[in-house]
Amino acid sequence: MTTVHGIDMEVVRRGAGQPIVLLHGLQQIEPDARFFGLLARRGEVIAPSHPGFGASARPKDFENVYDVVNLYAAFLDSLPFDKVTLVGFSFGGWLASELAVRSCHNIERLVLVDTVGIKVSDRETPDILDVFNTHPDTVKRAMWHDQANAPDFNAMSDEALIKRHRNWESLSLYAWHPYMHNPRLAYWLPRIGVPTQVIWGASDGIVRPSYGRTFAGLIPGAGFSVIENAGHHPEIEQPDAFADHVARFLNR
Amino acid sequence: MDAWWQCEIPYPFVDKKITDAADSVRASLPNRLCDPRIAATLFDEVLDEFALCDDLGMNVVCIEHHAGINSLIGANPMVTSILARQTRNVRVLSLGTLISLRPDPVRVAEEYATADILAKGRFDIGFVKSGGTEMASANMQPVNNEERFWEAIDLVRKTLTTHTGPFSWEGKHYSHRHVNIWPRPYQDPHPPMWAATGDPKSAAEVGRRGMRHVLVLRGPEGTKRAYEAHRRARAEAGLPKVTTDNFAYAALVYVGDTDEEGIEVGSKLLWFLNTSLKSAPQYNTFLPGAAPPVAAPGLYRTQAAPEAGSALKDAEKGVAPASRNAEKLISITASEAMKQGILFAGGPDSVYRQITEFYDKVGGFGHLVLVGRSGYMTHAESRKSIRLFTKEVLPRLKAIMPVEVG
Repeated sequence: MTTVHGIDMEVVRRGAGQPIVLLHGLQQIEPDARFFGLLARRGEVIAPSHPGFGASARPKDFENVYDVVNLYAAFLDSLPFDKVTLVGFSFGGWLASELAVRSCHNIERLVLVDTVGIKVSDRETPDILDVFNTHPDTVKRAMWHDQANAPDFNAMSDEALIKRHRNWESLSLYAWHPYMHNPRLAYWLPRIGVPTQVIWGASDGIVRPSYGRTFAGLIPGAGFSVIENAGHHPEIEQPDAFADHVARFLNR
Repeated sequence: MDAWWQCEIPYPFVDKKITDAADSVRASLPNRLCDPRIAATLFDEVLDEFALCDDLGMNVVCIEHHAGINSLIGANPMVTSILARQTRNVRVLSLGTLISLRPDPVRVAEEYATADILAKGRFDIGFVKSGGTEMASANMQPVNNEERFWEAIDLVRKTLTTHTGPFSWEGKHYSHRHVNIWPRPYQDPHPPMWAATGDPKSAAEVGRRGMRHVLVLRGPEGTKRAYEAHRRARAEAGLPKVTTDNFAYAALVYVGDTDEEGIEVGSKLLWFLNTSLKSAPQYNTFLPGAAPPVAAPGLYRTQAAPEAGSALKDAEKGVAPASRNAEKLISITASEAMKQGILFAGGPDSVYRQITEFYDKVGGFGHLVLVGRSGYMTHAESRKSIRLFTKEVLPRLKAIMPVEVG
């Protein structure tokens, strides 16, 4: 556990070398995930859980996405590195983008994976599947390329399910309205001034690759790449391909 | 004891094949299935039934639910205001516009003050916390729903009772910098306030605030527990004891000429439970905030894990979401519903007996809310029950005077 701005945060760390900070998406990062080990071969991977996710505390009234953004600004400042590679997955990509448009002073490179955070289509076309108001079976089909990769609730421990429901509650506080995006973020994305790679699961039905392409197009010089046979979580469904994409970007 | 009649104006005329196939009959059922001509007839009939109640001396209640076959009254203040003007004798309770779904409680206070003026002080304000499907249909965050509920009530109360010019409100959920409504309410300081809630924590808050506490279809154990939490919270806060007038109970009620007729026709009210409660998992089991995280193992698993005991037991202790209460009600039969104090049905004598037995079981209440018409019950059947209830049962209930409790 690490304390930042008085908040007890669960932070998983592995590996050594150049620092890579991971901001997770809808669930906290499991340290036994294959992609996590693969990234740890490249550097020191640092994965905090957002307040109200995993084992991290969520203070009373801490229920706004900008509470989380400000906390991560403080978190990055607290690390003993001048600059880090910042990787944001899904909801965590939104957080990473918000941080980067404010200041890149401690960001070396930025990786956004199946990120949310902006509005792309017209007002009557939702860009991001409403995971709260859609039948869970539909959400599951949209989330995974191979349904066998979805978590099996019957096989999960009580503790893991309790965490999962608490994550869900916290996510809804941060992202219910406006749903999973900041209406003004797209306007500010051109301010991001560090090398950026946007990575997408080809079969993502939560937020489509075309959204990712638009997102990348708003960040000067950003690359865009698609991972086949992966949905909203390419890091879980294709961990080796994912780690390769990240490695190629970091070596560039 | 006083009595209040209500009909939610359900819309049962959707093919059963469609409702059986749908994962939810609320929030997501397309409104092309609602024929506006049938809806207009239903409003006509039910408004006439409310008017009949006015003629016969029974108070009326207008509820609110959104986007489903269970109720066509989504716009509560509109129907409330019609009742406020069309009735001349009885009290009108709005139970209520779903306050935590409304972006600006000041506007709600303005609507309610107007209703009180229209009714010349015969108006009561009720607050209800809303259901899971309504978080979707109103686009409202579900986790802090209860916080909004209480802050909104505070703001409505202050809006109705401030007469010295504009005041400012900058709360956690509501911000309104210039509050000054015209007209102010007819009643001074404000119309009586009710709240419908069953869980012990909010029951205690209703008690501390001295609001009239209504339990809806909760059965004797749940109702008694909530009333007790209300009284205990008052005692703990050093507040004066209250009378049974602070407590209300809402049940399905049908009175026929005979027990057989009352039960047969009254069984039609079970449609509300059997058919209109069905909602998809994203609106209940998986709705954020509907159940605390500790209940998750019982909610997420389709097969119980052998070691899941502790969390499941917690779920049984009262942390289960409303969906679990609903599941129990969906399959209920008339005799079970009568045994559980959810349905009072029969001839006048036996309905009176069922009500007083329930009264004794829960420690007394001063107001009975009759869910008097639901499902496929006809206008004629509904009118008959209203006539029989007001003639044969209500006078006996009125003889039950408020007594101090707690």
